[in-house]
Amino acid sequence: MTILVLAEHDNASLKSSTGHAIAAAARLGGDIHVLVAGHDAQGAAQAAAQFEGVAKVLLADAAHLAAPTADNAASTALSLLPGAYTHVVAAATGFGKSIIPRIAAKLDVAQVSEVTAIEAPDTFVRPIYAGNAFATVQSKDPIKVLTVRTTAFDSPKTGGSGAIETIEAAADSGLSRVTGAELTKSERPELTSARVVISGGRGLGSSENFKLLEALADKLQAAIGASRAAVDAGYVPNDYQVGQTGKIVAPDLYIAVGISGAIQHLAGMKDSKVIVAINKDPEAPIFQIADYGLVGDLFALVPEFTAELG
Amino acid sequence: MKILIPIKRVVDYNVKVRVKSDGSGVDTTNVKMSMNPFDEIAVEEAVRLKEKGVATEIVAVSCGVAACQETLRTALALGADRAILIETDVELQPLAVAKLLAALAAEEKPELMILGKQAIDDDANQTGQMLAALLDWPQAAFASKVDIAAGVATVKREVDGGTETVEMKLPAIVTTDLRLNEPRYATLPNIMKAKKKPLTTTTPAALNVDVAPRLTTLKVVEPPKRKGGGKVADVKELVAKLRTEAKVIT
Amino acid sequence: MSTYYAPLAEMQFVMNHLAGLEQVAKLPGFEDATPDTVAAILDEAAKFATQVLDPLNASGDREGSKLLEGGVVKTPAGFKDAYLQYCDNGWNGLTKSPEYGGQGLPQLVATAVEEMWHASNLAFDLCPLLTQGAIEAIELRGSDALKKKFLPRMVAGTWTGTMNLTEPQAGSDLAAVRTRAIAQGDGTYKLHGQKIFITFGEHDYTDNIVHLVLARTPDAPDGVKGISLFVVPKFLVNDDGTPGARNDVHCVSLERKLGIHASPTAVLAYGDHGGATGYLVGEENRGLEYMFIMMNLARFSVGLEGVGISDRAYQRAVTYARDRVQGRAVGLEKNAATGAIIDHPDVRRMLMTMRAYTEATRAVAYVTAAALDNAANNPDASARAKAQAFADFMIPIVKGWSTEVAQEVAALGVQVHGGMGFIEETGAAQHLRDARITTIYEGTTGIQANDLIGRKTARDSGAVAKAVVAEIHKVAATLAARSEPSLQAIGVALAAATADLQAALDWMVPAYGQRTRAAHAVAVAYLKLWGLAAGGWQMGRAALVAADQQAAAGGGDPAFLHAKIATARFYADCLLPQASAYARTVLHGSESVLALDVEAF
Repeated sequence: MTILVLAEHDNASLKSSTGHAIAAAARLGGDIHVLVAGHDAQGAAQAAAQFEGVAKVLLADAAHLAAPTADNAASTALSLLPGAYTHVVAAATGFGKSIIPRIAAKLDVAQVSEVTAIEAPDTFVRPIYAGNAFATVQSKDPIKVLTVRTTAFDSPKTGGSGAIETIEAAADSGLSRVTGAELTKSERPELTSARVVISGGRGLGSSENFKLLEALADKLQAAIGASRAAVDAGYVPNDYQVGQTGKIVAPDLYIAVGISGAIQHLAGMKDSKVIVAINKDPEAPIFQIADYGLVGDLFALVPEFTAELG
Repeated sequence: MKILIPIKRVVDYNVKVRVKSDGSGVDTTNVKMSMNPFDEIAVEEAVRLKEKGVATEIVAVSCGVAACQETLRTALALGADRAILIETDVELQPLAVAKLLAALAAEEKPELMILGKQAIDDDANQTGQMLAALLDWPQAAFASKVDIAAGVATVKREVDGGTETVEMKLPAIVTTDLRLNEPRYATLPNIMKAKKKPLTTTTPAALNVDVAPRLTTLKVVEPPKRKGGGKVADVKELVAKLRTEAKVIT
Repeated sequence: MSTYYAPLAEMQFVMNHLAGLEQVAKLPGFEDATPDTVAAILDEAAKFATQVLDPLNASGDREGSKLLEGGVVKTPAGFKDAYLQYCDNGWNGLTKSPEYGGQGLPQLVATAVEEMWHASNLAFDLCPLLTQGAIEAIELRGSDALKKKFLPRMVAGTWTGTMNLTEPQAGSDLAAVRTRAIAQGDGTYKLHGQKIFITFGEHDYTDNIVHLVLARTPDAPDGVKGISLFVVPKFLVNDDGTPGARNDVHCVSLERKLGIHASPTAVLAYGDHGGATGYLVGEENRGLEYMFIMMNLARFSVGLEGVGISDRAYQRAVTYARDRVQGRAVGLEKNAATGAIIDHPDVRRMLMTMRAYTEATRAVAYVTAAALDNAANNPDASARAKAQAFADFMIPIVKGWSTEVAQEVAALGVQVHGGMGFIEETGAAQHLRDARITTIYEGTTGIQANDLIGRKTARDSGAVAKAVVAEIHKVAATLAARSEPSLQAIGVALAAATADLQAALDWMVPAYGQRTRAAHAVAVAYLKLWGLAAGGWQMGRAALVAADQQAAAGGGDPAFLHAKIATARFYADCLLPQASAYARTVLHGSESVLALDVEAF
């Protein structure tokens, strides 16, 4: 069994998602090869080679792979396939989601998306209906083509020394090209569609103090919300309000900071998948629905939380 | 320019789905069905391109059971000119749908196909990209802006941490992200007119496509219920648990 | 948090199986109303109600419409956009004639759609509702010139309409109307006077507002026979259709109200600056007659408001009852309990009451709507007349009973929430406040009841009433003869209510002629008895249909059918028995109602 992992990188370095994809590959068992398709991507290739369990890094270098289009990225991977590979794995990020289905289609095999658990080399668990159900699916195709959820697989240790082998890049299809990229780091996701929401309550004490949440939100690419009490106190505008008369949110992670948990607030966030509460009052009702309650001074805990995320 | 818009009939996004007690799947009997929300965005984008004079004809296509006709009527009410149903009772997986659409594209010869980035039932996020591969067309998945001029589609697409701009030679595939547009409501007069627009039916057999499922669903379960009341001692434990137990941060 | 979702499955069940949509769609002119098209219309309307109107309901209530400098009215944030979108999407013209840009769909379809507007945002819908009344008045009795000038824009919603009846001294009694209209010799009139309680009498939605105004010409006879109807636009309309000079009608204040805060209720001053130019509708002195033609539909719509608010209150209460954890459920094993208050038997009692009343009032209203469609478009003259007589009889019941029921349902909605229900932010209180107007405007419950006992019951010596009683009796007998215990139980309860109804009817017909004050003293009890029995009738029919569908293979959603029968059974067991109490009041209560002298109060 040999697994091909598609590396996500910016040539100079590897994106952290690649480590999670390698971790998933390790769970499958078998040799792991990592394809780094890029331009002047020695740095990324070396980083990939350092993950434990990586037997070989395949480095394809071509100018048109510097910022590859989906079809060019897929073509280079396909030049190795079917070959000896039993599995093709990438992280379920924008990169993996764009390329992996092209590979599956060209191989005439099914793809399994957003795998959260591996039960057997041909059997995978994945969320459906926005995570309201989890399906266990089995693929009988000769090659299993997967994208995996990064949060479901911990990055392996580094310290390995896989070999780096240069391979031929597939020719530029010339069908499309990437003409620009724009990083929008500061732009917050929308409250109602964000994967992570951090809300502040009256416990924050002032409009100024909401900045504490911003640093944490930057780290988690989170949207910022507020309880009605914080809105009424004028700390933040009306459209921040989460709750009965505000917005209804159901993110993967909801962090309530300095919010006591009035029922009107709970009504707006109780369907969140994981709830964290930070509050100095151990009796605050928010702790009753929080998965992870942290009792203490938010002015100390929030910066600590931000720092801990690195 | 002809635009082909594949649409899927899915459980309405407001419905709280229930897993069947025998674990064989999600109970979809007698549940309200609607057009996949990302496909609504695709239809809207096509209609806007037509209103701008870029597109001349919009053809909506759906693959599945006879009731998909209702969803196609919705697309017609929103502005599609005609509709095609590829009718089958077989459970269709993304690869099969991509093959059906590729076969139809060979007949219809559109210059652009816009698809929703994923369906909110299986959340696969595959069909558009697979279709592009089968047709050997370029793709721009997760579009937030589409411009068409002189045989080239310039698409701004959402990537992790920002956007990327792609130029594609037509014909091409675009898949829609949330921010591409805000779909309109069908107007009452257009709902009435939709009845009279042409809707034709074909089958996988007529298109010579094998749609047999490739993946077998062994079981479907509900996600674990949150208990609440859990406490952690400090920030270190919190972050560790969010990483390893809840697996919501990396 | 509760979001309004139109009960589409329930609405379609009632339309298809109780109101007879299929038959209505066969009437000439309604051929487009096929089940698939109607389903598409309801789907889209439901989306609009949920996504556009419902989110504005609470904020509109909090913000309210405001009167600014210079008689300008500002509606709450979002309302104008929602209105423009509503018009763009063509909803304003649903039932209107295609000649003026409408879709000419049946009242039955409009009824389901309107219920969604009422439920999601009553205050919002009042503007289109009043426009609809004004359109109808002009369409029925206006000159071709008036029709041409005003109708296309009013049907499109580009201009809105109002109904100006009430004056400070002329409320329910329009004989006291004093607004003067003086002919100018050029076909126009100058109006002077003050009108109050004018819903959306001034607003910021559109460039022009078309007021329909009741006024007296100088030589008009006294009383209701001397009232004429005029069109008075806020801006005069040039011959090319563009708005011209500002007319002399001005908003001088807005009322502060218990509910429907988003809806501006205007005091309009006519002719303070020389006279407001008006155009006569139809003939002089026949204004009230014209008003009554439209009144039927307006009253029906208000009844439907009761249905909509009841459903909204019910949905909110259910959401809360499922979520709110409080106390331990008596007599439930721990693993059988949800832990929420919906486990408590008394909360169930309240929710079932709300649900059963909502379903019953809806069914009665939709069946009446189908009769209105037949009255309008059935090719057979005798079928038309029969449908009209039935609709005329039912309308005071739909109006009076559905809105009275809505008071109880909305109050229960607050009660389910406990203390939170009394807190405005929760939202349940708004439904109660908004519901409160519905038993008052377009004729109070008392006026509906007087109409029911007089023109609708006594005038034909109870002929139509008796025919309806016979129909109810038939359904009761069919139910009682069934083998299913639930249906039998419903049949027994309905038969008892039918007997009560018959007794009340037998008392009322002679009493109305001989003991007028006594008849009027128990008129509301008579109306409520009719409402309860009519509700039982339709719930009984629904149970029969549901049971038949259960028996047939693949006949429908098992959960829906089970709930339908259970709700009908609850109605029969827990609500319908009130019929005997009302019957007793009708037969024996009038004397005590009138027993005290005025001085004793």
